[in-house]
Amino acid sequence: MGEATVSKMNSEITVSGRAFIHQHAAHCESGVTAALFRDKGVEISEAMVFGIGSGMFFGHLPFIKWVGMPITTFRSRPRTLFPKVAKRLGGKFFTKEYRNAQKGMVALRNALSDGHIVGLTTNIYWLSYFPNRFRFQFNGHNIIVLREIKNGFRVSDPILDHPVDCSTEDLERARFARGPLEPKGFMYWAETVVENPDFRSACLTGIKESCYMMLRVPFPFIGIKGMRYLAKNIIKSPDKLGFPEACRRLANVVRMQEEVGTGGAGFRFMYAAFLQEAAELFGSDELAELSQEMTAIGDIWREFAVVSARVVKQRGQSEETFAKAGGLMLISAGREEQLFKDLDKVARKLKA
Amino acid sequence: MELEDEIFDDGLPKAYYKQNDKGQYVLEKKANAPWAEKVSCSLIILANRANLEEIRNAVLAGQKSPLCYYMEMRQMTPGMLAKAAGIAAFRVKRHFRPEIFAKLKPSVLNRYSNALRISLEEIKIVPTI
Repeated sequence: MGEATVSKMNSEITVSGRAFIHQHAAHCESGVTAALFRDKGVEISEAMVFGIGSGMFFGHLPFIKWVGMPITTFRSRPRTLFPKVAKRLGGKFFTKEYRNAQKGMVALRNALSDGHIVGLTTNIYWLSYFPNRFRFQFNGHNIIVLREIKNGFRVSDPILDHPVDCSTEDLERARFARGPLEPKGFMYWAETVVENPDFRSACLTGIKESCYMMLRVPFPFIGIKGMRYLAKNIIKSPDKLGFPEACRRLANVVRMQEEVGTGGAGFRFMYAAFLQEAAELFGSDELAELSQEMTAIGDIWREFAVVSARVVKQRGQSEETFAKAGGLMLISAGREEQLFKDLDKVARKLKA
Repeated sequence: MELEDEIFDDGLPKAYYKQNDKGQYVLEKKANAPWAEKVSCSLIILANRANLEEIRNAVLAGQKSPLCYYMEMRQMTPGMLAKAAGIAAFRVKRHFRPEIFAKLKPSVLNRYSNALRISLEEIKIVPTI
C-alpha cells in the first residue's frame, strides 16, 4: 500500500470541518489523550502523554478475581491517565458521566453537532469491529467518536490501523456496560488547551509520581514489591495450584503484558521512548542512559514472556520451568528498583 | 495451520515501540504478533472455549440452565449479569437451576435477553451441535 492511500484512509473530516488525522497508537488511553491534544494544535506524542500521566505501574491483586483469575496490571488504573495529563499540561476538559443511557447518547450527539470530537470510555467486549481475540469484558477501553453517520458513528480507535464505523446499538451497550469499573457513559473533550504547555515541569511531576508508585507505596502488591510477590507466586504455583491452573495464571500474566495494547513488554518500551524524549527536552545524558536501561529491562520482560510461553506450550517437556520464569521477573524487579531510584534522583536534580 | 495462528489470522496490525538503527524509538506496525503473545492468548481463549463446551453439555444433560451457558458465552460473572439485568445476584444464581429457569415469567426472561443480547427464543435452548 502506498503512502498516499494510507494518509487518505486515515484522514477524516469532523463535524466542524477540520481535518482529523487518525494515528495508530499502542495503548488506548494515551492514544486518545494524545489525539485530543493534537486536534487542538498541541503536538504531543503518545509516549510523552504516557510519561506525563504517570501511566507506568505494576500491580498484582490476588484478592480481586477477574474472569476467574487475579488481576495483574502493568499500567495505572483506567481513567486516571487522562485527567492527570490534562491537569499537568493546563488544559480545560469537559468530563461527564451519565446514568441514563438515552440521556448519554443525546449528550453525545449534541457534543458532536457542536463540533467537538469526543472521547468515550467503553467496554471492549461489545465493540463488534474488533476480532474475537480482543473481545473480553474490560471496561476501560477509550475511543474517539468523530461524527455521526447513518445507523452509527465514525470512530477513531487508537489501537486500530484506521477509523471504523460502529453501530449505535454497539456503542450504547459498550458505553453503559455493567460490571467492575463501569464506564457509566463517561465522555470527555478538550475545551481549551494551553498553546505552549510547560512540558518540562509536567514531565518532572509525571516522573516523580511514577517513582513513588513503583517504589514507596506502603502496600505489598504494588510496584516493585508487587513484582517480587508475583515472581515468588509463579515459582510456587505448580505445586500449589496444579500444572494446568498454574499455566493459565502464567499465560494470563503474559497476555496482560503483551496483548492488551502495551506497545511491547508491558509498557516498558513505551516508557523508554518517553525517557528518550524527555532526555532530548532537558538535554540530559542521565535520562538518555536511563532510557537505555529501561530498554534492557524491557528485553528481560520479553524473555520472561518467551520462557513462559515455552512452559505453557511444552507442558513441562522442555527445560524451561516456572522457576526460570519467576527468576527472570525477580531480575527485572531488581533492575527496575535501581532504575526508579536513579530516576527519582535525576528528576529531583533537574530544574523545570 | 496451528490453532494460535488461526486465532490471530485477522491481519490486524498492532503497534509496538521499537528502536530504529539510530537508537531512536519509533512506533512500528506489525501484522504478526510475537509468538509468546500468540501462545498465551490462545491458551486463555481455548480454556474459555473448553469451559463453555462443558457447560453446554451440562445444559443438555439437564444439570444447568441455558442462562448459565449464555452468561459464560458473554464472558460475564453472575454479579455482572445481575447488574446488567437488574435482578439480584442470588436470584441469578438460582436461575442457573434448570427446573427454576423453566418456570420463569416472560418479563424476567426479557430482562435477561436484553442484558445478554440473546433473543427470547434462543435463550430457552442451547445450540445442539
